[in-house]
Amino acid sequence: MEIVPQLIVNSMNAGATYALVALGFNLIYGTAKFFDLGYGALAAVGGYTVFFLYRGLGLNLYISILLGAFVAGAIGMIIYRLVYAPLRKRRSSSMVLLVAALGVMIALQSIIAILFSNQFQTLSRNVGSAVTYSIFGGVVTQLQTITLILGLLIMAAIGLVFRYTLFGKAIKAISDDEEVSKIVGINTTKVMSWVFFIGSAIAGLAGVLVGFDTGIEPTMGLSLLLKGVIAAIIGGIGNVYGGVLGAFFLGFIENFGIWQISGEWKDAIAFGVLIVFLLFRPQGLLKR
Amino acid sequence: MEYLIHIAILVSIYAILGLSLNLVVGFTGLLSITQAAFYGIGAYVTAILLTSTGMNFFLAMLIGMLITSILALAIGFVLSRFKDDYYALGSLGFNVIIYGIFLNWYGLTRGPLGIPGIPRPSLFGFTFSENAWFLLLSVICAAIIYFLCQFIVKSSFGRVLKAIREDDVAIAVFGYRTLWYKLAIFVISAAMAAMAGSLFASYITFIDPSSFVLTESIFILAIIILGGLANNRGAIVGAACLILLPEILRFVGFPDDVAAQLRQFSYGIILIILMLYRPQGLVGEYRL
Repeated sequence: MEIVPQLIVNSMNAGATYALVALGFNLIYGTAKFFDLGYGALAAVGGYTVFFLYRGLGLNLYISILLGAFVAGAIGMIIYRLVYAPLRKRRSSSMVLLVAALGVMIALQSIIAILFSNQFQTLSRNVGSAVTYSIFGGVVTQLQTITLILGLLIMAAIGLVFRYTLFGKAIKAISDDEEVSKIVGINTTKVMSWVFFIGSAIAGLAGVLVGFDTGIEPTMGLSLLLKGVIAAIIGGIGNVYGGVLGAFFLGFIENFGIWQISGEWKDAIAFGVLIVFLLFRPQGLLKR
Repeated sequence: MEYLIHIAILVSIYAILGLSLNLVVGFTGLLSITQAAFYGIGAYVTAILLTSTGMNFFLAMLIGMLITSILALAIGFVLSRFKDDYYALGSLGFNVIIYGIFLNWYGLTRGPLGIPGIPRPSLFGFTFSENAWFLLLSVICAAIIYFLCQFIVKSSFGRVLKAIREDDVAIAVFGYRTLWYKLAIFVISAAMAAMAGSLFASYITFIDPSSFVLTESIFILAIIILGGLANNRGAIVGAACLILLPEILRFVGFPDDVAAQLRQFSYGIILIILMLYRPQGLVGEYRL
């Protein structure tokens, strides 16, 4: 195991996870135009659903993962209907929505902690027997490869939906001007509900994959979300491809940043990058 | 009785935190989610000075406030480039970075082990070792901060702050350098939070990074949003409500760890409900 190839592989892995989170986040931010911090907790919802179904009830792996993404999506959609939709109807400022989202995040986290305790858990049944591949001297697990491929597939899918379907056009219309889209007959509440469902399901999926890679805890969503948000911002917020680019950029900076220092500084490095970007290139790598 | 004194001390410490954050969020309209970082810096500086040099508590508190002010000046300068929800996100980032420093600068903060054996304050040979005496000290501190806040918001300086909150372009046109006003209030607020941190450190006699996480900042935000933004009495009412609420939960008979999670859950829900039905809080004069 050599150091530089391994760092590159680690960067790609981190980037793939962040890319997933950034994709869902960008989808929601692009349409709803506020920082949905509650979105992070949905990653934990996904992770814990799989934990319950796969480890607890012994269900099939793939069904559990699908259900995990589905539950996260459904909860995201319910929260949108109960909290964000009424607030948006009232034209609350984005700061009100942000504070409400903080409330959602904390409430969801603590529900999970009450149900499943605060302990750090792993998702895989047989720890330590992960299939690994070796690329130019760097080691990568099968799961990490799957994450990478999934991230790129979802990116492509979202890109295609935006370009070729009526639904994608409706999302674009809402993000441009919600009032006018209502006038031309788009059912904005319905479209937004689906956006929240899809975005949250992607978050849930990201939570599951992280759970298999490292493990799950109720507060896992926050750091995951923050990385996703940072990736989205440095990539150009609201831009699907930009978010993915930003995610890999962030993955590389983080992992090469800790080459000489301890790994605990990753979060600080990530926020340092964010602040540098906000100061010097607030529009991100790719402009929307 | 001892228990009631404990609660009262906590209320007065959080009242200071609420009052200080209210200056920035309520009166100036900057949604800062980083107050726990300044609270923590104050606590750590005091704790380190007291345990390593054995200097007087009040001197250590002043040094803590001074160091926090200098850091807040730098952070406030970066944040002043952002607006509204980006400001919130940037400030949240600083909380994560500073928490990372508490956790990882092992040589200075002992990392997750924390700093034990912080002595209680003493003045002219009298030590505030009895909790009742400490309560007196913390109430005096809270009262000083309260009157200071009242003085600030009633002064011409305070009126400029409110004008910045309502329309910072208009007030800039009138020839006010809004940057300096924003920086000044940010630094004052941080210094007050540092004072609360010093009190906390010497009251509990032990600190570790977990007291200064992001959720703590959100908790302080919840205090002032519940009490009411831009109202100093509201901050105190909010602190009392949110400190007492989990204690009631404990009396109802939930086990301690569940009660702790329920505390978080309740203030998450409180934030959501307030945003939905009463964004100005109990006695607030400004809504986000």
